[in-house]
Amino acid sequence: MADKSNDPVVLWQTMIGEMEKGFNAFANQAMTSPEFSKAMNQAGGVTAGAQKQFGELMEKYLLSMNLPSRAQMVGMAERLQTIEGQLNEIKAMLHQMNAASGAASGYAGAPRPPRTRRPPGEQK
Amino acid sequence: MNAPPGLDIASIPERIQSEVQRAIQRSIKGVEYFSSSGPALGSTPKDILHVRGTMNLYHYRPLADEVYRVPVLIVMATTNRGYILDMVPGQSFIEFLLKRGYDVYMLDWTAPRPEEKSLRMEDYVLDFIPDCVRRVQQDSGEQEVSVIGYCFGGVLSLLYGSIFNDGPMKNLICFTTPIDFREMKLFSNFSDRRYFDVDRLIDSVGNVPPEMILSSFEMLRPASRTVSQIQLWENIWNDEFVKSYRMFDRWATDTLPLAGEYFRDITKDLMWDNKLYNGTMTVGGRKADIADIKVPILHAVAEHDHIVPYDAAKHLIPKVASQDKEEVMLKGGHVSLVAGANAVKRLWPKLDSWLGGRST
Repeated sequence: MADKSNDPVVLWQTMIGEMEKGFNAFANQAMTSPEFSKAMNQAGGVTAGAQKQFGELMEKYLLSMNLPSRAQMVGMAERLQTIEGQLNEIKAMLHQMNAASGAASGYAGAPRPPRTRRPPGEQK
Repeated sequence: MNAPPGLDIASIPERIQSEVQRAIQRSIKGVEYFSSSGPALGSTPKDILHVRGTMNLYHYRPLADEVYRVPVLIVMATTNRGYILDMVPGQSFIEFLLKRGYDVYMLDWTAPRPEEKSLRMEDYVLDFIPDCVRRVQQDSGEQEVSVIGYCFGGVLSLLYGSIFNDGPMKNLICFTTPIDFREMKLFSNFSDRRYFDVDRLIDSVGNVPPEMILSSFEMLRPASRTVSQIQLWENIWNDEFVKSYRMFDRWATDTLPLAGEYFRDITKDLMWDNKLYNGTMTVGGRKADIADIKVPILHAVAEHDHIVPYDAAKHLIPKVASQDKEEVMLKGGHVSLVAGANAVKRLWPKLDSWLGGRST
């Protein structure tokens, strides 16, 4: 059998693995410095500010195009959410009524197994 | 010229042939990779019990003829989708639990909508989890419920358990749950209060975009994505490798946004003031000290967890008041602890042997 230490494929995979470990360790060390945090958050702050301004600009543009604004879409989403909530309440009520009627059925109408299981060591 | 020691000259033609075959397979499978959609995930049959905005409560259909009395509610981390625990048949934690006779519910999350940016920690701990527990009680007809929390789902479960410490939680299982947030060194540095203006961020973006969450996770191991893509190319001839790669890659990149105010609470209370570790945490004005937890508790941690290092997680078991408590450290990383081939052999049987006797 060939010695794995001389197999070029194994050598390549080992090298990639070691490079990954080395680079991650190096980057992690660099990222624990306060300077990194400062630079990262400065860049992040600029991006967030730009994103906010872009969002406001888009809203004005949509308004001028006679398209629904974000606020209107959010309003619609809230109404849909209320309808969804009410549907779920109706489902829950139907489920409760089904359970109260004494039918031993699951949510999907299938019979449910008894809750009598014991751990393997304790089984009769 | 002599061959280097250990090199088997006779095996070279065979090796070249094998590599050529693999190269051909790579080309064929590479085309297949980009033209197919990957395995269907999260397909264990379930019913949606309740949906309210970002909150989803599922009930999985039993797979055993007889189930344990106490139902199990899994609380998923708010940053990721719950199908990590239900990948494909044979590699699904949910399927495993169902086959071992547990009645399983999951509190899973979808992306919070723009209008949900005002959700706070108290909405998760004092509203969503209690609401789901109540619905599990109602659906199962049982008063007691065991709770399993994964990663930040574990933090939410701990906060819930410390406030509602008179029940109905019967057992608590946490997977890779951080307590000392100072020990999450990189996240701690990313959110250094001297430079990270969380108020400005949340006031600007509303909900924290998933790209930001994903890049902060990827920054913990910046070379790993590139290396995993090299490994994919090397192994693209191997259907099992590709299937596994696609499952985990899809899940890892399917990150959820976080509700703005909730993120602000996490940053200020946990990252900056480390209140969970210090025992000074409050949620909605109510004291939430994990020292008040008395139920049986199991904490599973991963030996090579780069997201929640052991130093961040190790305080959980010493701090809770429970008499019946155990920490188990298993080989693997933050994700491979709970999903994949290693989890099938290590964590899942351990959890079953711990929980079974406490579920009757």
